[in-house]
Amino acid sequence: MLSRVAENLYWLARYLERAENTARLIRSYNHLIMDIPKGTEPSWMVLVDILDARADYEDRFQQQSELNVHKFLVTSATEHNSIRFAINRARDNLRITRDALPEEAWEQVNELKILADERAHTSTSRSNRLALLDEVIHKSQALTGLLQTTAPRDHAYRFMTLGRMIERADMTARIIDVGAADLLDREGAFSGVEPILWGALLEAISGKSAYRRVMGPIVEQAPMISFVFKEASFPRSLFFCVEIIRRELKRLPKHKNALTRAENIRRRLQRFKSTEEERLKLHKFIDNLQLALNKLDEEISLSWFART
Amino acid sequence: MARYRDAADLAIKEMGISFTVYSDGTNIDRAWPFDVVPRIIPASDWRKVSRGLAQRTKALNCFIQDVYGKQRILKDELIPAELVLGSPNYREECRGVTPKHEAWAHVCGTDLVRDEKGVFRVLEDNLRVPSGVSYMIENRELTKRVLPELFENHSILPVDDYPAQLYKMLCSIAPTDRKRPTIVVLTPGIYNSAYFEHAYLAQGMGVELIEGRDLQVRDNNKVYMQTIDGEVQVDVIYRRINEEFLDPETFREDSALGAPGLMRAWREGNVAIANAPGAGVADDKAIYAYVPDMIRYYLKQQPIVKNVPTFLCRDPKDCDHVLQNIEELVVKPVNESGGYGVFVGPHSSKAEAKRVAALVAANPENYVAQPTLSLSTAPTLTPLELGPRHLDLRPFILQGRDVWVSQGGLTRVALKEGSLVVNSSQGGGSKDTWIVETEH
Repeated sequence: MLSRVAENLYWLARYLERAENTARLIRSYNHLIMDIPKGTEPSWMVLVDILDARADYEDRFQQQSELNVHKFLVTSATEHNSIRFAINRARDNLRITRDALPEEAWEQVNELKILADERAHTSTSRSNRLALLDEVIHKSQALTGLLQTTAPRDHAYRFMTLGRMIERADMTARIIDVGAADLLDREGAFSGVEPILWGALLEAISGKSAYRRVMGPIVEQAPMISFVFKEASFPRSLFFCVEIIRRELKRLPKHKNALTRAENIRRRLQRFKSTEEERLKLHKFIDNLQLALNKLDEEISLSWFART
Repeated sequence: MARYRDAADLAIKEMGISFTVYSDGTNIDRAWPFDVVPRIIPASDWRKVSRGLAQRTKALNCFIQDVYGKQRILKDELIPAELVLGSPNYREECRGVTPKHEAWAHVCGTDLVRDEKGVFRVLEDNLRVPSGVSYMIENRELTKRVLPELFENHSILPVDDYPAQLYKMLCSIAPTDRKRPTIVVLTPGIYNSAYFEHAYLAQGMGVELIEGRDLQVRDNNKVYMQTIDGEVQVDVIYRRINEEFLDPETFREDSALGAPGLMRAWREGNVAIANAPGAGVADDKAIYAYVPDMIRYYLKQQPIVKNVPTFLCRDPKDCDHVLQNIEELVVKPVNESGGYGVFVGPHSSKAEAKRVAALVAANPENYVAQPTLSLSTAPTLTPLELGPRHLDLRPFILQGRDVWVSQGGLTRVALKEGSLVVNSSQGGGSKDTWIVETEH
């Protein structure tokens, strides 16, 4: 398989996952603010912080308003953090490697693009915004399902899976990092709404019902973080992502260095104790984890995409 | 019939929806109109044509080998040397190279028409990067979907083995003895109107579809592509880019489509390129007139399929004839393809005829002319009814170690009544072509 094609597929998957995850994140935030009393809700800027884009935002906008954040993260065609941007990038990547995937995949990604373009200017009301986010998530899932049932399990599929899992792990880590920061900084001041906030974080990674089944109905900090990091059965947990990454890496040629990186992440997660949820320690842990994910990404690029 | 056309439209949409709906204008060819009425040619007629095409392709390859080698045919003055050596399609860089099996034009798309007696004649040879073969295969797929009943009672020869035959041919020209040489299809990229076909053939052969930037020619004059397993040496390049873009070291410096050094590697015999650079020298509307002579000269045989009578305007006698009868003739520029610049006398105004006559008189060597018998007609489904439409036929001929001719080919049809222009870029369409076994 050509390196260029492998790289395109890897990024196709990363951008698609990014679009879907960003949509989930914003949707859950929209739900959250309807649930909690005015004045106690976190600022819309939490969303911008999760995507690590505060500087970009402040460059572009004076006001920290709901609508501006929406533009910045959903409908803008030029902002690098927006869902629309990610969808366009995904399509650009697929466009030049179309023959590597089933034909319907192209149609699905096109529909996503058309959706994002057409709705960019009509989705300002809250209900329209939520409808758009729902559709982005549905279409992304339709595509994932399509690939799962029709794509051959070859290297093309492998590179897509790697891209998807690295992106997902990264986003899960970010959400917990920033979300927990917001919560823990409150120092119990709003203890009444805490379960709702933790629940919203879980929902942002679609983990609410899975959590209930594994951990029970009460959402608390320690079990929640442990679940999101280490639950082997939950497909959006960090541990699950790393296990899939390891499995796919082993099936690729020249995988030694990349696999070492993945093993490193796995060990970190295994060593993680959920008593470590103290704010600073948690932040440090996630920081290191993200660095390790970046190292893995670099190693993948070095092992398979770079010219020798 | 209208029901069948609607069914075909639906099937086209289903099979190729992404190309028509989301085309961005980059895959215009996919929306090429398809006519559901198949064109039928008896197998007994076709066998003779097929033999003639094989013969013709062999002679053309002998000619190209000769031109870049000993130049016997020029020394024997069968063809004027300046006509060949002065052609923009002649590549001095290819002098002295002998590709495997002395094959240069590995893939030919030869355009055929029937004359007034119904006999097939060659209208032109396309030896550079002929396209359309994917439509030949897709058209059959469409017909099978739309008219499945017809296949019960007829013995129709299949066309879908083309990718396998192409693969076999490409293997036969590989400079290595390995059983599975590394073959790639080289495309200019997604903006090319035939990109669909490039991807189709690469998939059909199970080989990589690459762009020039994926290739690297090392100091050892070997060609490599960057894969996830590391660098892999490429043995055969089926190129779908024009040769002037192949190698910026040799041809156009500004080309970003090819790879620097490809010509070095090819001259050294480290990589096979199909069609070979320089093959276009035999694909020139003036050289065309001499193909029957080539067949007699190189093969010592009589041509099985004839040319359409052609006047070479470079010859003063022919030129006079053309200028005096321009209103009855088809006039073509020598070095154009795709139907561009073609003048059809009987369908043009006096003023237009005058304009073209002036062009011919000013640059006679740039023009040839043929009588307007050139295109026969076949029943075609128009919006209202069946009506006659002009058409031609492009079979595909492969030459590596062996020569192979497709069963039938791509029938192109003019969709406007009376129009003689069948090129897809100019409002033509296509039909499925059946070679039908008549003896039982």
